[in-house]
Amino acid sequence: MDVYEVFRRGGHKEPFEHCGSVIAPDSEMGLLMAKECFLRRREGEHLWLVRRTDIHSFKDESLLEIAADKSYRFAHAYRDVVKKRDKARERARELGETG
Amino acid sequence: MSEALASLLTALADDELILGHRHSEWTGFAPHIEEDVAFSSIAQDEIGHAAALYSLLAQRSGGDADGLALGRDAAAYRHAVLCERPNRDWAYTLARHWVYDTADAIRLEALHDTADEDLRALVTKMSREERYHLIHADAWIERVAAGPVEGRMKLEDGLKEAFEEALGLFEPIEHEEKAVHEGYLPLPSSELARRFRELAANKLDELGVQTEIYSRSDEAAEFVASSSGDLIASGDEHAESQPERARGLGGRSGHHSDEFQDLWDVMTSTYRNNPGATW
Amino acid sequence: MTYEEKLGRFNEHIALGGKVETQDWMPDDYRRGVLKFIEMHANSEIMGALPERECLPFAPSLQRKMSLAAKIQDEVGHAQLLYRVAEDLGKSREAMFVDLVQGRSKFHNVFHYPVHQWGDVAIIGWLIDGAALVTQAALLDSSYAPYTRVLKRICTEEQLHLRHGEDITLELASGTDAQREMFQEALNRWWLAIIHFFGPKSNVEKDLLLRWKVKTRTNEDLRQEFLDRYVPKIFELGFHFPTPTPHSSEDGHWLIKDEDIDWEPLNSIKKNEGPETERRLSNRRAIYEDHRWVREALSEPAVHAA
Repeated sequence: MDVYEVFRRGGHKEPFEHCGSVIAPDSEMGLLMAKECFLRRREGEHLWLVRRTDIHSFKDESLLEIAADKSYRFAHAYRDVVKKRDKARERARELGETG
Repeated sequence: MSEALASLLTALADDELILGHRHSEWTGFAPHIEEDVAFSSIAQDEIGHAAALYSLLAQRSGGDADGLALGRDAAAYRHAVLCERPNRDWAYTLARHWVYDTADAIRLEALHDTADEDLRALVTKMSREERYHLIHADAWIERVAAGPVEGRMKLEDGLKEAFEEALGLFEPIEHEEKAVHEGYLPLPSSELARRFRELAANKLDELGVQTEIYSRSDEAAEFVASSSGDLIASGDEHAESQPERARGLGGRSGHHSDEFQDLWDVMTSTYRNNPGATW
Repeated sequence: MTYEEKLGRFNEHIALGGKVETQDWMPDDYRRGVLKFIEMHANSEIMGALPERECLPFAPSLQRKMSLAAKIQDEVGHAQLLYRVAEDLGKSREAMFVDLVQGRSKFHNVFHYPVHQWGDVAIIGWLIDGAALVTQAALLDSSYAPYTRVLKRICTEEQLHLRHGEDITLELASGTDAQREMFQEALNRWWLAIIHFFGPKSNVEKDLLLRWKVKTRTNEDLRQEFLDRYVPKIFELGFHFPTPTPHSSEDGHWLIKDEDIDWEPLNSIKKNEGPETERRLSNRRAIYEDHRWVREALSEPAVHAA
């Protein structure tokens, strides 16, 4: 028997989310079991089963950390936009170029 | 600040900036779309490291990071010539990526003991990303080396090219003796070069890549400073009369290729043409 | 069930706002239409990386160098997401890429034009991404569900790009005269192309993608939203428009008259004959052809023991 990880999705807009795992002899029986273990109250509209040994992950997940400054990848890097807008409008007014 | 520390920071920052610049030229162009995304992050990391190093330098000696990165004459850059070479193809890019990050790992390991506290903190930070870079480079090199013959041959060509110039990364920096003496550079460049050769040789043996690739760099391995301050390969009988530089050397004293002049022209153009502007 | 019955059910499902998943039954025309549409979107993301990529080497500061690289990286990431969605509809990414580099497939018109200077980055990042976001946000409720799921992430990242582009614009707008001129000069060159970006008036009767709600809004509707949103902002910064010049209407809209739009350049661009098309495609083609060994190294099992 194998361990299968179970993923379910609520609607068309949602991503699949992990919701647990089952022990089953094959994927077909695993699906039948997972359906009752994890969707018997209709918690999702879609169901995926993935054999655990087919899932890969980093042995050292510290690799996923962002070590140095990457603020430019995030919206907060641009939070002073209002101030900058005012400054730019001011400059345009000085030039007398706005109506 | 100590001129030796300034020299060290400049060499480190310039290496990262120029290589990051070259790496970033693959963004949008890499031969595999997922890798395009992955490699762009490595380019961003290198430029980010350069920015941090320039900031440290600027804090101590005045000026600002952008001015140091984009506002100097081409002859003021102290990166290794290897970093400025055009990307050519993915094989050379990979080979250089691997050579550089292998060398950088050795350099950063030594710098964990640098006498400067701020640099030490920065090295710790940078090492975390550089560790990933090396994992990335190793994975690619191993994959291609074990793969079909065409890729393997391209990789060997790329490694040959990159190795010929690799020791430019371990050319003594300006004020090297002082940097070692004052503890900023805990190990002399010659010792770092020795470690690099050893590590690289073992790795290439493991991959089953031909040994000629690194025997070339062994020949050009030792450098002495000539009276003019230029670096020449020792053991070269004609060195005195004809100070011919071994390939890939000279970067640490500001001797760069025409390829760097082209890179510099473009890289600094917006900044240079708009003095005093903010961006 | 006959084909007609299936089609009837499908149409009814769509009419009621139903969504379609890859494995669901769908008419061939729907599958082909969606595939072509997403393929063009993916092509546009990857080709869209090229003009900005050409600006990256002369970025004026370290921060801009990194943030522009990150922005282009996002666009490549969008292409990656979209090609994967398109691929599941029955055409391999390899085939899509070959069609692209051979000039057989389409991508958005704006990406056929050259870049000259840093002002181009402001225009692309703010206005072209702004135009793209208007069109992409309108697709978030598309009937093809896998598309909407990747669009959700794409739109979030495009929001960030918009801020990035506006930030660059505002620095130019509040900067030196030369900096202001950079933006104005770039606006003069790009404005018509941006208007073309939305395309000519939609033919609602004939447009199958509109009928099947793959697209949900007409070209002219999207263009109007864009104009209303961006024209006042550009005026506020003291810049002016080349032809086709927007005029304000009494009911508070910014309008461009159809007769003011010169559609001629778009016609040659549709045939992949834009000013930069051949150069950019041939660069891409050269890289593609020179790197067959990379694809082989990635796809074939190891032949040498490492």
